[in-house]
Amino acid sequence: MALLEIDHVSKRFGGLRAIQNVAFAIEQNEIVFIVGPNGAGKTTLFNLITGVFHPDEGSIRFQGHDITRISPNQAARLGIGRTFQIVKPLRNLTVLENVMLGAFLHTASASKAAEQAREVLKYLEMEKIAHFTASGLPVAALKRLEIARALATRPRLVLLDEVVSGLSTAEALALAETLKKLPEWGVAAVGGVEHVMQVVMSIAHRVVVLDHGTQIAEGKPQEVVRTPAVIEAYLGTKYKELGL
Amino acid sequence: MKGSHLLAALAVFVLSLLVPLVVQTDYVLQILFRIYLFAALGLAWNLVGGYAGQLSLGHAAYFGAGAYGLALFSGKLGISPWLAVLFGIMVALACALLIGGVSFRLRGPYFVLATIAFGEVLRLIVKNLPGITGGDVGLQVPALFHVNVNRAFYWAAVLLTALAYATTVAISRARFGYYLMAIREDEDTALSIGIGAARTKLLALLISAALTSLAGSLYGSLFLYVVPDQVLSIDVSNEIAIVAMLGGAGTVLGPIVGSVVLESASEIFKNIFKEAHLLIYGVLLVVVVLFLPEGIVGTLAAYLRRRAMFGGIGARAKGLAAR
Repeated sequence: MALLEIDHVSKRFGGLRAIQNVAFAIEQNEIVFIVGPNGAGKTTLFNLITGVFHPDEGSIRFQGHDITRISPNQAARLGIGRTFQIVKPLRNLTVLENVMLGAFLHTASASKAAEQAREVLKYLEMEKIAHFTASGLPVAALKRLEIARALATRPRLVLLDEVVSGLSTAEALALAETLKKLPEWGVAAVGGVEHVMQVVMSIAHRVVVLDHGTQIAEGKPQEVVRTPAVIEAYLGTKYKELGL
Repeated sequence: MKGSHLLAALAVFVLSLLVPLVVQTDYVLQILFRIYLFAALGLAWNLVGGYAGQLSLGHAAYFGAGAYGLALFSGKLGISPWLAVLFGIMVALACALLIGGVSFRLRGPYFVLATIAFGEVLRLIVKNLPGITGGDVGLQVPALFHVNVNRAFYWAAVLLTALAYATTVAISRARFGYYLMAIREDEDTALSIGIGAARTKLLALLISAALTSLAGSLYGSLFLYVVPDQVLSIDVSNEIAIVAMLGGAGTVLGPIVGSVVLESASEIFKNIFKEAHLLIYGVLLVVVVLFLPEGIVGTLAAYLRRRAMFGGIGARAKGLAAR
C-alpha cells in the first residue's frame, strides 16, 4: 500500500482549472519532487493534500484512509507535515519555541517538547540560533525553521513547498544534503520546486511534472528531463524541434 | 515558576490582604477595590486578547452576565447569593459559547467588530425586556457581604486577582498557553502543526468569561444596583482591554501594572482636572499606543531581552572602541 495516493483529483477556482485529473502515489520513505513553472498548481496540490481546500473531483488516501475532506489540523494529526512557500514563522517566539510547538503534538510536557525540539534543531544544524526570536532571522534560517517545525510533529510525510526558493545555490545544496537523510527518519517527502533542478536531480527518487494544472510527466529525474512535453513546457516548442 | 517569582507573588498577595488593617478610609478602599477588580478583568481578557491575540471588545457581556445573573437568580428568584454567582458564571459561559462559536470564524478586524456587535446586542436585549431585567431602570443586586462591606469587597477583589493571576501563570507555562500564542502569531501555521485552533480559542474564552463574570457579580453587589448602560456598556469592554494593553497584552504582569497605572491615574485626574479628566486620559492613551505599543511590561521585557542577548557583544564593541 502506498503512503499517499492521489486519485484523479481536480480542483477549480471559478473559471481557473488549478488542478486537472492529477494522479500519482508516494511510497513510504520516498522523496518525490513536483516540478512545474509558476502557477502550475503545486501549492494548490499541497493545499488539497493538507485539507486547506477540498478537491472537486477525485479522492486522496493516506495510509489507506480516505482524507479527501479532512481539515488542516487533522492532516497534521494523521502525520502529514508541511512548510509554507511564503514562510510563516511564529514571529515573536524563539526558534526553539517554534519547533516545540510542533513537538507538542505528541506530548503535553514542555520539557519533553523542548528536548525533542532540540533533536530536530540539531539535525537541521540550527542549535546555535535556538534562542533567537524568529522575526529577526534571514531567509535561509526561516526556510529551515519551517522544516524543523514540520518535522517536530513526527510526520510520516512532509510537504516541502518551494523549500529552496530564495536561497543561494550553496545554501540550497546544503539544505538538499540535509533533506537526503529524511528517509532514515522514516519520513517521506514531497517537494515542490519551480526550477532549481540541481537540487531535484540530487535528492529526488522520482519527479512529477505539472503544467497548467495537468500532469505532463512522471518518472526518474534523469528520464523526465528528456521528455519532449517537459522540454516544451519549460523551453517552448522551438527547442523541442531542435531536439535538445 | 522560578522560586523567587513565586515568593514575590506570594509576598505581594499577603501584603495586599493586610492593607485594610492600615488603610481605614472607605474612599481609598473603594479605589483599591477598583484597581484589583480591573487587574482581574485585565488578566481574564489577556487570555483571549493577549495570549491568543483575539482582540475582544465585547467583554462587557460577560461582566454584565455576572452582575445580572446575581440580581436575577438571587434578587428575583430568591436563591442564595453565592449560588447565584455560580449561575451568573453559567450565563456568561453560555454567552461565550454563542459569541465565540460565531465570532471565532472571523479573523482580524471582523472579529473585533463581531465582539462589539454581540456586546451591544446583549445590552439592547436587556434594555428592552423590562419584565425580566427591569429594562432601563435596572435591578437591585443582593449584597454578598453584610459587615465591614468595603473591607470585604476589597479582599474579594484581591482574591479574584490572585485567582486570575494563578490561572494566567499556569496557562502561560502549559502546552495550552503555547497553543494560544501560536494561534496569535499565525493561525495557518497553528493548524499545520495539528492545533485545533477553534477549540483552543473557545476554551480560552470560556475561562476568560468565567473570571469576568465573577468580577461583574462583585461589582454589581458592591453598588447594590445594576443598569444596562453601566455594566453592559461598551465603555466597560474598552476599559478592560485598555488596562491589559496599557500594561502589556500577552504578559503575565501586564494587566496588573496596567490597572494600577490606569485606575490610579484616572482617579487623580478626576480630582485635579475635574471635567477635563477624560481629555487627559485620552491623550495618555494616545501616547502609550504611539510610544509603547507593547505596553509597559512588554516594552520593558523586550528591552531586557535585547540587553541579555546582545549585552556581551555590545560590551565587547565598546571595549574595542575604547582601544
